[in-house]
Amino acid sequence: MGAIAGTERSPRLDASGGLLFGGGPEGDAARGAALRQLSRPFGWLAWVAVVAFIGDCVRIAYFTPIEASQGPAQKIFYIHVPAAITALYLAFALMAVASVLYLWLRDPKLDRVAECAAEVGLAFTTIVLVTGPLWAKPVWGTWWSGDARLTSTLFLWLIILAYLILRQAVEDRAQRARYSAVLAILAGLLIPFIHLSVYLFRTLHPQPIVLKPSAPSLPSEMLTTLMISFATFVLLFVALLRARYRLATIADLVEDGASSGRAD
Amino acid sequence: MLPDNAGYAYAAYAAAITVFTVYAVSVWWRGRALAARIRRASDGPRTGTSSRAD
Repeated sequence: MGAIAGTERSPRLDASGGLLFGGGPEGDAARGAALRQLSRPFGWLAWVAVVAFIGDCVRIAYFTPIEASQGPAQKIFYIHVPAAITALYLAFALMAVASVLYLWLRDPKLDRVAECAAEVGLAFTTIVLVTGPLWAKPVWGTWWSGDARLTSTLFLWLIILAYLILRQAVEDRAQRARYSAVLAILAGLLIPFIHLSVYLFRTLHPQPIVLKPSAPSLPSEMLTTLMISFATFVLLFVALLRARYRLATIADLVEDGASSGRAD
Repeated sequence: MLPDNAGYAYAAYAAAITVFTVYAVSVWWRGRALAARIRRASDGPRTGTSSRAD
């Protein structure tokens, strides 16, 4: 997720307003590198993640036992839980940490990391919020319950959506980064609350069976499948974050060029 | 006897695949739009048109 080779240099506008990544052969090379990366945004890691996801689905469908009381619907567990863990403890935690570091160091790369982690995390949380009701209906008899875990997760989803909308609304780069960093940190404060909500309140949502002080309460075959699913979701997260970060880096260069053009 | 609720699991997996696919396509689409913008801007000086005309 490092800087994109050949594009981390100041772009400038030429006399006619054309956006350039730099003059001469170096500029052409930088532009060529940017265009190549934009034409293939995902790279090999995404294909590895896709193959892992397919393999994971095969294991879940054919090589993991069906839970006796809940039936086949319990297999939603293997996407619902990894998506939730990846979104909360990886994506949004990264967003919050990068935002804290941004306010301290004022490095635009940190703001970019926070933005990309928030966006990818939003996709994962969407999966959590869609698969949750699909699991709840056959098991609880209702699509949704207004308990603390579900409501706070929905609330976090809305805050992240607001964060991304805020980023579109503020034009000044530094101001946008500062405002959104504050909102991201506030959103990050919800993560421990969401985790502890099942202990603090009476909820329909079960308590953690893996992320808890004692040993996971799962048969070994199910636990192995869950771990494979978790690794797959982390791979998917890294692949999407990497692609999104590349896009954001080049978009920032273009925005810098456009701003300097307007300022001229 | 196991409950017959496999349809919910299929729907959940289909939803997850759809969300991933839609998001990946949105990243690809935005990259494509950005590439087009860069190409237009860099072609501008050669063709005599400005990127700000877009």
